[in-house]
Amino acid sequence: MTGILVFALIRDGEIEENVLGVLNKVKNFTSLGDVSAALLCEQAKDEWISTLGKHGAKKVFVVEAPELSTYLSRAYVKAMLEIIKTADPKVVIGGGLVNVEDLIPRLAVHYNTTCLERVTDLILEGDDLIAITPVRDDQAMVKMKSKGEKIFITTRAGAFFIDENPEGQEPEIEKLTVSFDEKDRIVKSVEILKAKKTVNLKDAKIIVAGGRGVGGKDKFAIIKELADLLGGEMGATRACTDLHWIEETYEIGQTGQSVSPDLYIAAGISGAPQHICGVKAKTLIAINTDERASIFKYCDYGIVGDLHQILPILKEKIK
Amino acid sequence: MNIVVFIRQILDPQVNLEGIDYFDESKINADDLIINPIDKNAIEGALKFKDSEGATVTAVCVGDLKPEKAVREAIAMGCNSGIVVNSKDIFSHDPLIMAKVYHKVLEKIGEYDLVMIGGQVMPTSSYAEAPILAELLDIPSVLYVEKLEKKDDAFIVSRVLEGGKEIVQVPLGKSLFSISDSEYFIPRYTSMRGIMMSKRAQIPAWTLEDLGLSANDVGQDISDLEVLSLENIVIEKESFIISEGEPEEMVDKLLEKMKEDGIKLGGA
Ligand SMILES: Cc1cc2nc3c(=O)[nH]c(=O)nc-3n(C[C@H](O)[C@H](O)[C@H](O)COP(=O)(O)OP(=O)(O)OC[C@H]3O[C@@H](n4cnc5c(N)ncnc54)[C@H](O)[C@@H]3O)c2cc1C
Repeated sequence: MTGILVFALIRDGEIEENVLGVLNKVKNFTSLGDVSAALLCEQAKDEWISTLGKHGAKKVFVVEAPELSTYLSRAYVKAMLEIIKTADPKVVIGGGLVNVEDLIPRLAVHYNTTCLERVTDLILEGDDLIAITPVRDDQAMVKMKSKGEKIFITTRAGAFFIDENPEGQEPEIEKLTVSFDEKDRIVKSVEILKAKKTVNLKDAKIIVAGGRGVGGKDKFAIIKELADLLGGEMGATRACTDLHWIEETYEIGQTGQSVSPDLYIAAGISGAPQHICGVKAKTLIAINTDERASIFKYCDYGIVGDLHQILPILKEKIK
Repeated sequence: MNIVVFIRQILDPQVNLEGIDYFDESKINADDLIINPIDKNAIEGALKFKDSEGATVTAVCVGDLKPEKAVREAIAMGCNSGIVVNSKDIFSHDPLIMAKVYHKVLEKIGEYDLVMIGGQVMPTSSYAEAPILAELLDIPSVLYVEKLEKKDDAFIVSRVLEGGKEIVQVPLGKSLFSISDSEYFIPRYTSMRGIMMSKRAQIPAWTLEDLGLSANDVGQDISDLEVLSLENIVIEKESFIISEGEPEEMVDKLLEKMKEDGIKLGGA
């Protein structure tokens, strides 16, 4: 039993970015053995396998079946258990996204062991794999390890950098066959509704984003006015899109868009990890009434105050 | 329809305990414990079925400080009954152990159709109890549900997904849902009637023995999870925070400092 098995999630017809981040993180843990990847899909594409190899997978285990065309717990668990039985890795790890968070803990159950959740860093100390997970709004962190015979880990979305110039080789491929039955098909994915991306925030240089602290649909006007004045775009947290204060397309974060503007103004946003992981700004200004809000830890400039007082003044001054 | 909702009790995030102090049991006042906020969304989900289908809702809280408080609040919101499991021996940091306790609770309850549970435990962002419990129970399950309706012979479930939503169909029957923070599940307030009910409610307190467990089955020693340390995060980043003054002064200070640092606000 050696090695690290990385679950390779396919999303929108490509290997999902967190998979590459995780591969980049674990490929140097050579004392734990080789890195391999598990690819579950209807039909594997050569380019996926090459990508996994380039980013550090020495071997790719593939299970192909119509039942795996989209993520569903039961079928994916079954296929992964087959791969784990064959590969017999020490570590099974998956990056970020909700389907990965669904899958990995379920696998751990079959080995009667725990799952280390939403890890943001991994350190190898001797043969011990130490995982770090931030808690209490990222004010503190837990260092932990698993004593399990196999170690199951999920990582926080966006936790690891992707190697921009990966130099891995074409991996070895092993295809496995898994048969599915009626029980694996009873939960059905009816459809995936993509948030309408009517605005592209990815390339925006300036973003003024509002959170639950904005306080209502009509109160979003000030966010829009300031964004317009600065020649930027509007953004929001999931709290606001869930409450239908603003269209989904403006959501930023793990389940929304990832942005990398020069300037990001966060107004009435607490700074939840699922929001922050989507924001890579050169300069971040935070406005929040609660001086303890974690957004202040990420910001370059902050004002502790009511956004409905601060933003109108800021608007006037800029004019 | 019988629904069991598992709720966790957490220290109110508004308390004045930062970083590692927040987790220091000696500093925790049991009166500051609240229901993990997203678990109230799960209660709301169950109560919607109470309203529409006449479901019976049981709230269960496993904890060692004051779980009755959480269960009474759940009853005040509208749950029919509650159960607490009060034990200091449960290593609650390990989602596998919590899920095993929940599994035993469900076995003892016996008759249930749906299990509902909040999408994550706020202070630790732990979410794995739900998928682990579903796997132990070997029943259909959907995580991060943002809308849940019963139509004819199936549950139509909308779940959060990166970049959108997924509509999933689950046949009626035993199933588990983990609930996320959404408009559909905004929790209702407690009602006067509910508060009266909750005051009168008899809340059974089960022990580990009642569940057929012993301290050895659920303690830290048996867990594969080893916590090595809990440390404060010191962020190196230097932030310029303005916390005093009239709004206008604050904005002036901000603009001045940004100018000094050579950061432009842009402008169309
Ligand atoms: C699987 C999953 C995926 C998720 N994906 C995303 C995602 O992609 N993007 C995302 O954003 N979230 C996401 N979330 C949700 C995330 O965890 C948080 O719940 C959300 O980001 C909180 O939004 P918020 O900061 O607007 O609200 P809150 O956390 O409620 O914060 C509101 C803030 O406003 C402040 N405030 C109140 N009034 C004022 C005022 N007048 N002036 C100034 N400040 C004020 C308050 O002090 C508070 O800090 C996800 C969650 C899950 C479980």
